Order: sequence, then C-alpha cells, then structure tokens
Amino acid sequence: MSYALFLGCKIPSYAPQYETSARAVLGKLGIQLTEMEFNCCGYPLRDQHFELFILAAARNLALAEAQGVELMTLCKCCLGTLKRAQKFLEEQPDLLAMVQEKLAPEGLKYQGTAQVRHIQSVLHDEVGLEKLEDLVQAPLNGLKVAAMYGCHALRPSRITGFDNAYGPKLIEELLKVIGAEGVPWQGRLRCCGGPLRERNPELSLATIMMRLEEFAASEAQVLMVDCPHTLLQVKWAHETLSGEGKPSLDGVVLYPQLLGLALGLEPGRLDLTQNAPAPSGLKASPPPAKADPGGEKPKAVGGNSPA
Amino acid sequence: MFFSISLYLALAICLVGLIYKAYSWLTVSVDPRDRQYSAAKRAGAAISGLLRTVFSPRIGALLRGLVWDGLLQGRSLKHSALAWLGHILLFVGFMGLLLLHALGEQITASLFSDYYPTLDPWLWLREVLGLMVLAGVGIIVLRRLTVGGLRQTTRARDRVAIALLAVILLSGFALQALKITSSDAFDRMVNEYAGMDDPQELKALRSVWAADYGVVFAPGAIGSDQDLLEQGRELNENNCIDCHSPANHAFASYGLSVLLRPVALGLDQANASQILYYIHFLACFLGLALLPFTKFLHLLLGPVILAVNAATEREGMNPAARAALRAMEMDACTHCGTCSVHCSVGITMSLIPNYDILPSERLASLSAKTHGGEGDRARLAQTREGAYICTSCQRCTRLCPLGINLHDLWTAQRQDLADEGLGTPLREIAEFAEQAAQPSRGRHEVLVDTGGFKKTLKHSAQAGSFTECYSCRECTNACPLVHMSEWPNQELDLLPHQVMYCLKLGLMEEAMGSRMVWNCLTCYECQQTCPNLVQVTDVMYELRYLAAQAAMAREN
Repeated sequence: MSYALFLGCKIPSYAPQYETSARAVLGKLGIQLTEMEFNCCGYPLRDQHFELFILAAARNLALAEAQGVELMTLCKCCLGTLKRAQKFLEEQPDLLAMVQEKLAPEGLKYQGTAQVRHIQSVLHDEVGLEKLEDLVQAPLNGLKVAAMYGCHALRPSRITGFDNAYGPKLIEELLKVIGAEGVPWQGRLRCCGGPLRERNPELSLATIMMRLEEFAASEAQVLMVDCPHTLLQVKWAHETLSGEGKPSLDGVVLYPQLLGLALGLEPGRLDLTQNAPAPSGLKASPPPAKADPGGEKPKAVGGNSPA
Repeated sequence: MFFSISLYLALAICLVGLIYKAYSWLTVSVDPRDRQYSAAKRAGAAISGLLRTVFSPRIGALLRGLVWDGLLQGRSLKHSALAWLGHILLFVGFMGLLLLHALGEQITASLFSDYYPTLDPWLWLREVLGLMVLAGVGIIVLRRLTVGGLRQTTRARDRVAIALLAVILLSGFALQALKITSSDAFDRMVNEYAGMDDPQELKALRSVWAADYGVVFAPGAIGSDQDLLEQGRELNENNCIDCHSPANHAFASYGLSVLLRPVALGLDQANASQILYYIHFLACFLGLALLPFTKFLHLLLGPVILAVNAATEREGMNPAARAALRAMEMDACTHCGTCSVHCSVGITMSLIPNYDILPSERLASLSAKTHGGEGDRARLAQTREGAYICTSCQRCTRLCPLGINLHDLWTAQRQDLADEGLGTPLREIAEFAEQAAQPSRGRHEVLVDTGGFKKTLKHSAQAGSFTECYSCRECTNACPLVHMSEWPNQELDLLPHQVMYCLKLGLMEEAMGSRMVWNCLTCYECQQTCPNLVQVTDVMYELRYLAAQAAMAREN
C-alpha cells in the first residue's frame, strides 16, 4: 500500500519534529510516501460550520482516492475528523450531493473508498509488531512511558476504528516491542483540553493541567502524546507552570521519536530537543537481565544522550 | 525636449511616491498596539536592527536571502516550476533591458567601449531579452487563465500591470520592425552619418539596404542590377557597416518587419515609427511614475523583505522595527496569488463566497483598512469571517515568494479586529445563545413537539438521535467537565443528559444557551458510552451550529 502523509494544519508550523521523526522512522522501515498537498482536514472548521468541515474533509479524501493512496495522519484530530466525515457522507445523501457538486469543478469525485489511518495503526497493523521487534537495535530498557491515546482517535470507536475505547492496548504494544513500558495512569484515555483553547482558554488550560498532575502522580518517566494539539497543550501548560514552583514535567515525547531511538537512528534526526519540554534524558532502567550474546548491537539509549 | 520633460516628470512622481510610501511605513499601524511607536522610533529601530544583523553571523542568512530567494527566486521554485520559470524569464529579461537598453548610454556604454545599440551582440541580445520578458508575461497570463485559484483572484491591478508590460514590449518590437523597413529612417541616417549627395550613389546604397536589410523604398528609388548592387555594397562597407550589424540579427523584429513590408511605405508616411516611439517611452515612464503605487514596487521592497526575513525571527524582533516591517510587507505584496492557490481553507470559498477567506484578498482588505481608516461594519464582519476560518497553518507564510510573514500580519489583523469588537466569533455566539436562553429559564410550560424540532435540524442527521435518550445519565457520568466541576449543575447549567432532555421537551434555546454546550470538549466520552447510541457529542456540535445560524439571522 502506498501512503500519503497527511500533516494537517498544525504539524508543519507548530510541531515540525513530529514530521521529521515520522519521516525518519518511515524511511528506515522502507515505507514509501507519496508527496501530496492537502487542505485543512476540517477539524478547525467543525466548531462553526458543519458543511465546511464535511467539504474540506471530503476534498482530502477525494484527492487520496484520485491518487490511489491511503492517508496516514500524524494528528489524532485529523484522523477522527476524516473518519467522522466519511461516516456522515455515508449516511447523508444530501451531504454527498453537496460535496460532489463542489468538487466537480476541480475534476474530483468522492468515491467513499479512501482509507485513513493514524501512523500508530500503520506501525501496529501494517508494519506489524514482529517486524518492529526484529528491527530494534537499541531497546529502551524498560523506559516507563505515560501515553495519551487521544480522544479523536479513540472515540467514537465504532467510527474511528483505532482501538477498543475502554481497554485499548495498541500503544502499550507498540511501546513493548521497543523495550519501553506503557504504564497505567489516570490521564491515559482523557482529553487534553485542546478543543476548548479558543472557546474557553481557562478551562482548556485547567484540563491539561489536570492531565499533567495525573502524569506527575504516575510512575512514568516521560509523557508520550501523538497528536500535535496535545503537544501544544503540554507546551502551553509547561510554559505557564514554569516559574510558579509547581511540579514541572520532565519531558514529552512522540512515538516516532522513541521508535527512532530504538531503531538506532541518530537522535539528531528525531528532533527530540524541539519538544517543549524536551526530555532531559531518557532515564532508562538498568539493562535487562537477558544477556546480549554477540554484543554487536549498540547499547540501549540512556543517560543524557538524546538531549 | 518632450522626452526629457516626461522623463523628469515621471522621475519626480516616482520620487514623491516613494517618499510618501516610506512615510507611511513609519506611520501606519496594522496592529493598533503598533501606534505607540513614532516614525523616529521605527526608523531608528529598523536601522539599528539592520546594522546589528549585518555585523553578526546572521549576515550569511541575509545574503542567502538576497541571492537565493531574491536573485534566483528560490522560494517560488518551491510551489511551481512554471511560475518560477515565468518570473525568472521576466526578471532577467526586464533587468537586462533596463541596464542594456534603457540605461544603455549610461551603464553599458561606460562598461564596454564598443557599445553601440545597432551592433552585435547588443542588437540580438536586446531581442533575446525582449522575448524573455514576453515569454515570462505569456506564462504569467497562461497561469492566471488556467490555475483556478489564480483565475478567481485576478483583479484590475493585475491586468493593468500585465498590460503595461505588454505595451512596452510589443511597442518596442514594433518600433524596431518599423525602423528596419523605414526609408525615412534610412534617409535620416544617411544625412547624419554618410553625407552622400550623389543620386547614383544614393540609389546604389538604397538598393543594397532594400535587398540586404529589408528597407522598403518607393518604387523606382532602387535598382536591382549587379553593378549597382556592387557599388552599393562598397559604399555600405565604407559608411555603414561599422555601426550596423545585419538587420536580421534583430531576429524577432526582423521577422515582424517582413510582415510589415507591404504597408511599410504607408506607415512611413503616417509617421508610425514616431508614434510608436512615443507610445514606447511614455509607457516606460508611466511604469516608472506608477512604481510606488503598483506591484512594481516589489522590485525595491522584495529584496529588503527577503533579506530581513531570512536573517531575523519575527518573535523577539524590536516591536518598533516590526511595525515598520509589517507596513512594508503589505505594500510589497504583488498579488501573485500563490498563497491563495495553496490556502488550506481555500476550498471553503465554494460554500461561503467571501473573498476575505483567501490570503491574498484578505491582505488587500487589511491594507485598505490600515490606510483608509475605519471601514464599514459589514466589510469588517466579512474580514472577520475570513480571519477566523483561517486555521493559522502558516502555509501562506512558508510559500510567499517574497517571504512576507503573513502569519504575523494575520496576528496583527485579529488584534485590530478584536479592538473593533470583532473577536473570536465562537465566544460571541456563545454569549448570544446564553442571552437567547434567558426568557425560557424557569418557564413552566414546555413545548412537547419533538418531531417538529427534529425537522429543524439542518446539519448532521445524527443530531436527531437525541430522541433515543432515556436519561440513564451514562453520558453525564462519563463527562470530564462534570468530573472537573465542583458543582456541575451550577457551572455547566445543564448536564449532558439534561441537554438531551431539554431537546426532547423542545426547549432548544435552553439547550443552546447552556454552558455545557459551549464548553464541551468534544472528547466523545459521552457518545462512546451511550447505551442507546445517542450521538451526544454530535448533538452538542449541532446546537452550536444552530446558535451560530440564529446569531447570524439576528445580525441580518
């Protein structure tokens, strides 16, 4: 299957390290990407204009269909929005007619065949855990990770198809194969407050603060988010937190960054230092008891190496 | 005389225009907060910022901006190879003609002692340069006609600029062609440079120029026998050839002159070459005079903005210098339309035909507002709509061939709009909805017409699923807002299951106006958990659309 990376509006300007690390990892895994220009996924439009949201999403889907590629999103809100739009278009002929009429001048047609997946699903289901495990060169030595699943990927699960909404395990499995451990914690399946940022900044900030408190109460060493909106929320909260003497967060990471480290990619290609806050060093546990007979593989990433 | 007067007049207008523009960069404010910086402060900050950049390692980035982005136009290569080709042809051809032809006597002649416009390589080089400009203009017109986003943003000022360039170029080629065929021009040259008065010799020379150079003489003024031509060639060699390369080396004009031959005598009598000469230089002077007021201003501003933006970050820039830079950026825009073609929300134009959605048009509105004062309310509301459909993805800023930081201008524009009382529309709609809900608060009689209400739902059909709610409160139990609130009922007005219940009672205003609806995180916890498949989150979305519609209806 050929994929087109769907970056959405936030990543190129606000979270370029997500794109950089994803491209590095996908390149290492030999996944070919078709370069295409898409428009807004529809998510930022959705609060105000239902039809604009549907049309914007449908155009992206139609573009992918015309090229015969599958869409791979990095942003969980992009994923949820495109999936939700597909469902609406399936259920409402009036919307479909509107979309076809507006796309026709460009020679586009929405067929309803486009496939949309988040990069984590691609890694988990298409590349596969076994292959990932085989390719790992520097396992992360049991690094304890508090992962956030991301609302718009997880729910409504009947539509997004990302994982079981109540007992998801996709991300923990992805972490396990690279030698890290996804720990249970309160904020795992909760909202980052991102959608409220414009409508109610105070409440939005309070929401992410609550997640960070939950993270602080967990045994995790780093926080992992795989959505640019959450990444921005964490940055915002971190900037607000610093200086007030509140418990500060050691570091936030993206899965492609961790995977990249495990695959033996140069930390410089993963742009970990651009995370806000950047992990001060991925504090790994002592090396696993299992002896490495050849001693060929580079040592696991630990100490201060990535930052 | 007339030439000099019009040249100086054009120069004077250009100069006054530039002074006026420079003054405006120091005085107009895109962001109302920029008003606090006086002209002197802005000029001082801009100059000191420039000096600090020049004498720092950032000089490398600055030079790269000038050479790669400015001279080689690397930025436009990023979005379209054809657009790059068109503009680079236009740019190289235009600059070449400016230096070699318009300022040939002043610049080229001082560099090359053997410069003579009628000699090779200057003769054919001028044709090449002219054709480059024409080809560039051709590509630009072609793109304007075929690229959808460009077609819809092409305005009078784009057409005027293209037309002016076309007039200058075509009149230039036509003038050269007419001069090739003109017997009057031949006579004038002979009088001035050869000083021949023997009729036989003149006839001989004419015959050669008719045969070899394409001049058209009156019938009977020339002969064709070999002796005559031989005599003529000798005279040509002695008198003319040192200053005249063969006419067909001006290949494009020569080709045109062949077409003109049948009517050449008539044109000569009508003094056509003189008329074309006037058209040609007056069009050039018109371009010069209008330079500060048209997109041609980017010739001067483009390099400045490319260099400054390549070497500096907008964040952390001295705000006084930033104020001046913002004003310059508005004037530098050439309305090339790159931003609008690639705009991430450009597609929404087909549903909401508001040109202020497109960056190039929104910038024009911003410029008009900044220079022209208040502007009427309806116009501003339209701009606000565009400003908030924008997702701040910054693609326009990344792609602008001139490196204009549009994102920074949008930030300033939103600030300006907020000062006019036109901030985030969502918050305004929420307030409207809350007010609209007041009359129904505490009302005892309710309207139990669920079916009728369901029909008023216009957007997502899923929103009608509220009828399946049986108030089990699973949604409310799942809602993170409810968890976060100490007194949920007070803080949220209505809990999710109560919103559904209100709808079942037909109390739409009540539901729409509740803080629950406006603070909904859209995390889909409620919808996921509902045992009866009520699309709770989508219902919340629907209520916000309905409120936006009601707010708009009231405004109109």
